[in-house]
Amino acid sequence: MSVNAWIVVADQPTVGNLVTVARSLGGPVGAVVAGPRSVAETVANAGVDRVVWCHAPDDVPPEASAQAVADTVAADPPRVVLAGRNPSERVLLGAAAARLKAAVLTGARSVSVAGDSTTVVNAVFGDISDETVAVSGPVALLLDGGSAPPPAGQSAPIEEVAVAPLGVKVIETRTHGFEKVDLNAARRVIGVGRGVKAKEDLAMVEQLAEAVGAEIACSRPVAEGLNWMGKDRYIGSSGAHISPQLYLAVGISGQLQHMVGVTGAETIVGINTDANAALFTQTDYGLVGDLYQLVPAIISALK
Amino acid sequence: MRIVLAYKWTCDPEEATARADGTVDWSRAKPGLSTYDPVAMELARRLAEEAGAELIGVTVGGKGVGAPIASKAALSRGLDRVLIIEDESLADAGRSELAAVLAEAIRHIGGVDLVITGDSSVDVAAKMVPTVLAGELGWPAVAEVTAVTGQDGALRVERAIPGGVQVLEISGPAVLAASADAAVPRVPGMKELLAAAKKPAELLDLSALKVPPGGAVMTVTGRSRPERKARKGQLINTADPAAAAAELVAALRAAGAL
Amino acid sequence: MDFELTDEQQLIRDAVREFADTEVAPIAGELDRDHRFPYELLPRMAELNLMGMPYPEKVGGAGADYVSYIIVIEEISRACASTGIILSAHTSLATWPVYKFGSQAQHDRYLPDMAAGRRLGAFALTEPGAGTDAAAGTTTATLHADGYALNGSKIFITNAPHADVYIVFAKTDPDRGARGMSAFIVEKDTPGLSVGEAEHKLGIRGSSTPPLYFADCRVPKDALLGQEGDGFKIAMQTLDGGRIGVSAQALGIAQAALDASVAYAKERVQFGKPIAAQQAIQWMIADMATQVDAARLLVYRAASCIDNGRPYSTEGAMAKLFASETATRVADRAIQIHGGYGYTESYPVERNYRDAKITELYEGTSEVQRMVISRSYLR
Repeated sequence: MSVNAWIVVADQPTVGNLVTVARSLGGPVGAVVAGPRSVAETVANAGVDRVVWCHAPDDVPPEASAQAVADTVAADPPRVVLAGRNPSERVLLGAAAARLKAAVLTGARSVSVAGDSTTVVNAVFGDISDETVAVSGPVALLLDGGSAPPPAGQSAPIEEVAVAPLGVKVIETRTHGFEKVDLNAARRVIGVGRGVKAKEDLAMVEQLAEAVGAEIACSRPVAEGLNWMGKDRYIGSSGAHISPQLYLAVGISGQLQHMVGVTGAETIVGINTDANAALFTQTDYGLVGDLYQLVPAIISALK
Repeated sequence: MRIVLAYKWTCDPEEATARADGTVDWSRAKPGLSTYDPVAMELARRLAEEAGAELIGVTVGGKGVGAPIASKAALSRGLDRVLIIEDESLADAGRSELAAVLAEAIRHIGGVDLVITGDSSVDVAAKMVPTVLAGELGWPAVAEVTAVTGQDGALRVERAIPGGVQVLEISGPAVLAASADAAVPRVPGMKELLAAAKKPAELLDLSALKVPPGGAVMTVTGRSRPERKARKGQLINTADPAAAAAELVAALRAAGAL
Repeated sequence: MDFELTDEQQLIRDAVREFADTEVAPIAGELDRDHRFPYELLPRMAELNLMGMPYPEKVGGAGADYVSYIIVIEEISRACASTGIILSAHTSLATWPVYKFGSQAQHDRYLPDMAAGRRLGAFALTEPGAGTDAAAGTTTATLHADGYALNGSKIFITNAPHADVYIVFAKTDPDRGARGMSAFIVEKDTPGLSVGEAEHKLGIRGSSTPPLYFADCRVPKDALLGQEGDGFKIAMQTLDGGRIGVSAQALGIAQAALDASVAYAKERVQFGKPIAAQQAIQWMIADMATQVDAARLLVYRAASCIDNGRPYSTEGAMAKLFASETATRVADRAIQIHGGYGYTESYPVERNYRDAKITELYEGTSEVQRMVISRSYLR
């Protein structure tokens, strides 16, 4: 079989969306996994046609298998190679793309085939414009991986490959205190921006989250500069892209680098004191006012 | 030890506007160092100072990336010299093409032990050039790097993972992409800024690099403004917060969002 | 005629703005409220080579051009007018006379430390009875075998008592008026030199401006700067340059008030729309912006005259006159645009308003500037 689309997987099986996209292109779908065997097994059950498991020593990160991943993909060159938006996957995809001399696109809204050419509608420059790109030759796509794919019935055999790892070893792993979150799985999300003045004020937002039944996320400065939340809660162009039923933006200006992460939300509500904030051009319901008055009022109204 | 810092001189899309036909108007945008590159430069110069390493800046791109002000901006942030490949053909180059040119530039410099880049460029934000570059060089790559210490052949790298930090040991040349918040870049001093004009800035012809031809060819066949999900754009009067809250909750319940 | 900044000037402006935004602006309100001298900023400014911008590298300065130095004062003042004048007084009023009139020995002893910001300078000319009439000073310097004895008092001395080096003007020949004045370099902790109580001012409250008292304050003969009788000339020439620093401070204050007004006008909603939609506000902004830009051109032009070795006395006076009056006018309009909120400490424009006024008064009142300008025309 000649693989049409390779999915590159690291140590998390969150590739459901990649499987869907790969299948939509027609032709055999392969997955090359550089992570624990359990991840290879999950992917093997997801309705792909081939699974190659790069078996590396326990003390190396997925990045150490980048050349092995590139070898696998190059041995059966595809039309498309796909990976999810995570640091390790980006490294593996980069190695594959270099080996294939593939065109790399990271904002694909849609992918289709037309004979030998692959057509991608690609969002550029923080989402202000879409380019329709026709590619002759292999394409490497960075996409939202999605959730772990459910079992699809048949199971592909796992081909094990021993990896001579690149010179990277894991010495130590330290966890911080922040609770992990899967924003993709949340039906309602509240985003916190710099309009929230003090870390103590997050308690009020947490009350709102509980009343609404929502997860809490934030804009980039709140996760990185202020370090009030783990980086997995940051929504934006290089953070999480989510499509919840409800997104409530509190004290967020609405700059495109943030809002690009929630364009798929069903309903967007915004609270900001600045009537001219970009936020209000992207909301279904906008409240121009003081969040310190409105958030408590909404909590009361929900009781 | 010889460290290369790959940087980008470009405009921020916040200053650009999309026309109705999808083309982008950059006329009001002023170019500068890509937003997260100074963070990478800070990480690189800390390592260079600690290890006594040479720190060389490399940039590739279309017209303007070789402008003196671009080189001075880079050189004022701890780089010893910069190498620029400025070519019109690179203005619209894809990630792979840029990575291939960077790889050749690094081979041209020779003896490079480490390449450090920013998290992503402010305009394209692909986060892929460093990883494709590593693939071209056959070197390991690590992203979301928050700290790097040590010597060539024995680098100790910290990188962010979901839930914490991982410490890695790298035994050979590598490409490291600094996370956007890895460090607060130091403000350039006046002497550094004024001395930047005296440091070497070498413009290298693209043709001198002999980048291997071939590879996928991309053609832009159309442009459009993205279809945004039409938003209601309804503003709720907030003169009375309690009334505003009641109105919002009612509307959300009616819309099935609550 | 090229109205664009050079690459270096742009990069210097960007770097100082980064410093001002991250390290100066966050404490500006507190410095004002607590009347606190920004001790912690001096070593940082020294680290960034901001304390001796126009002086050659070989004496410890940054070797920058005067326009760049003026841009530094403007950007610092935009964040905090008090810090701006601390820097300007040190660089233009104290370091400059040592650089221009000092002997080799005085250069060696003072310049490297002052230009590198290791020692802070102050300029002591004004007396309770001698402000605009600077020649009327009554502080005396009497020659003895082992040096001079200074007696008298000075008032409103910027950077006292924190300064290490004071340029003090005193009469070696009290009967000869201006021609009897001499200049001295007096180090802090010299016996006989004491500092009075802090002055409580309307604005620039982070700048310390107490009186100085000289009671048989003995300085060696080699503390004399230039020759006996040179003092008035030294003072006037020093002020010619210092007033360009003040004009840059005024420009920074005006720019801050303008920026705050633009942001507020776009954010404040009345009658269902931002007040920026009202023509009254639009025209105020238009006038403010034009005046600030005109001030900038005068200030940079004066600095440019220094860089090009041209006379700058009249140009400096024009810059100072116009920029200071622009600062007070723009700050006044800024409060008007902010309405009631502009009158409170929640917004920075009330501080801009209080800070602006001093620029019409010190280093030569607007009346003195008018004297200088008219003399050059009506000679």
